[in-house]
Amino acid sequence: MDPAERAQAARARVPRIDPYGFERPEDFDYEAYEEFFSTYLVILTKRAIKWSKLLKGSGGVRKSLTDLNRTFPDNVRFRKTAEPCLQKTLYNVLLAYGLHNQGVGYCQGMNFIAGYLILITKNEEESFWLLDALVGRILPDYYSPAMLGLKTDQEVLAELVRMKLPAVAALMDDHGVLWTLLVSRWFICLFVDILPVETVLRIWDCLFNEGSKIIFRVALTLIKQHQEFILEANSVPDICDKFKQITKGDFVTECHTFMQKIFSEPGSLSMTTITRLRERCRAALLSQG
Amino acid sequence: MAKQYDVLFRLLLIGDSGVGKTCLLCRFTDNEFHSSHISTIGVDFKMKTIEVDGIKVRIQIWDTAGQERYQTITKQYYRRAQGIFLVYDISSERSYQHIMKWVSDVDEYAPEGVQKILIGNKADEEQKRQVGREQGQQLAKEYGMDFYETSACTNLNIKESFTRLTELVLQAHRKELDGLRTRAGNELALAELEEEEGKPEGPANSSKTCWC
Repeated sequence: MDPAERAQAARARVPRIDPYGFERPEDFDYEAYEEFFSTYLVILTKRAIKWSKLLKGSGGVRKSLTDLNRTFPDNVRFRKTAEPCLQKTLYNVLLAYGLHNQGVGYCQGMNFIAGYLILITKNEEESFWLLDALVGRILPDYYSPAMLGLKTDQEVLAELVRMKLPAVAALMDDHGVLWTLLVSRWFICLFVDILPVETVLRIWDCLFNEGSKIIFRVALTLIKQHQEFILEANSVPDICDKFKQITKGDFVTECHTFMQKIFSEPGSLSMTTITRLRERCRAALLSQG
Repeated sequence: MAKQYDVLFRLLLIGDSGVGKTCLLCRFTDNEFHSSHISTIGVDFKMKTIEVDGIKVRIQIWDTAGQERYQTITKQYYRRAQGIFLVYDISSERSYQHIMKWVSDVDEYAPEGVQKILIGNKADEEQKRQVGREQGQQLAKEYGMDFYETSACTNLNIKESFTRLTELVLQAHRKELDGLRTRAGNELALAELEEEEGKPEGPANSSKTCWC
């Protein structure tokens, strides 16, 4: 087949209107497009196969997940009576993820993240791959059985507060408050059920785009903005209560302004600093056993 | 500020995921019950003051995530507790079997002399029952614990079990408590206690009459 014939053949196979509704221009290179798409199709197919295998791979093992009806019980789409009921979708995503990433399996908290992904994408398979991007790539090992990444990042936050907001760090020291009590849900749930939905989604945009450093920016901004308020606390329950209150109100509801603040308020926060702190804190945790 | 209570204790709720720890707590502190609510992540707590034996006891009750891997976080709270509720679900044989593991964790991480009590929750779910009442009693006997079947849903034995564990903790700390009583009129002693609540972990408090 000569080039002209090949181009003609490609033109005959590829529709004039693309899947998104755009008409292809006159000078569209059908042959090059077909070549690209045949490689891309392999990737899409591989993913689809992987996903369907994971779903079937449960081999009838219906693991019970006590968290299914404890994920957004106030959300109408997650109610048992909802049609379609997203609990089933959530179950599929979490079960498949557990099979896909056996080192992590299922960790409480992933239900809230998968739940949000499902609400937004309205698609099981896409939610699965986005969950994989977060758990498998973007976040350090927050959810693995040792939860070392989580413990490390809590310590890193403590160090950052010590550097940037020493008065708050001193308050914590005085009262012997463990940071895990105050912020473990921030890290584990990525602010789901802590901050308003719109704000969480804006944070997640940055999280997918810029990586896990963004969590520190949000945490530091919340603490810095309410520093005076936090410093009024004079007991452990008081501190805990104040940390709950600072996640509510206009400051966090105005998600657009809030997102601008997270990039200005905490000041410079280089990845080099984060990496160095992570290494140091992780080593310290490991040596404590 | 007028003093609202005489002593402060920390109690801890542990047990498998989904046995109803948070529901027990909500029923006790707020007299509320929600048939479905969000899973507990990490650690949380609520406070309530009750009167036992004429003493106003402020109890801080720590609620924990039940999934095993969260122990890496929750075990830090074991050593701060004076009393522990070990909770299973009467409709889950598995959660009952796991009590053994929870007890051994308590032995490992909690301070010596910590008071324990066994709770079989969801007693209202009679038709789904997998663990007999006598099995609960038997296990409690083996470990030398008191035992209650409770229902956060119908408000069965909630106040009773929380009061009982508080009594046990009070008894265990009788000595310190008597010390406090003899100084009951002494405002300094009260002030000291007040301060302890503010700084429970501060090293400066270690020499005081501290059982918190």
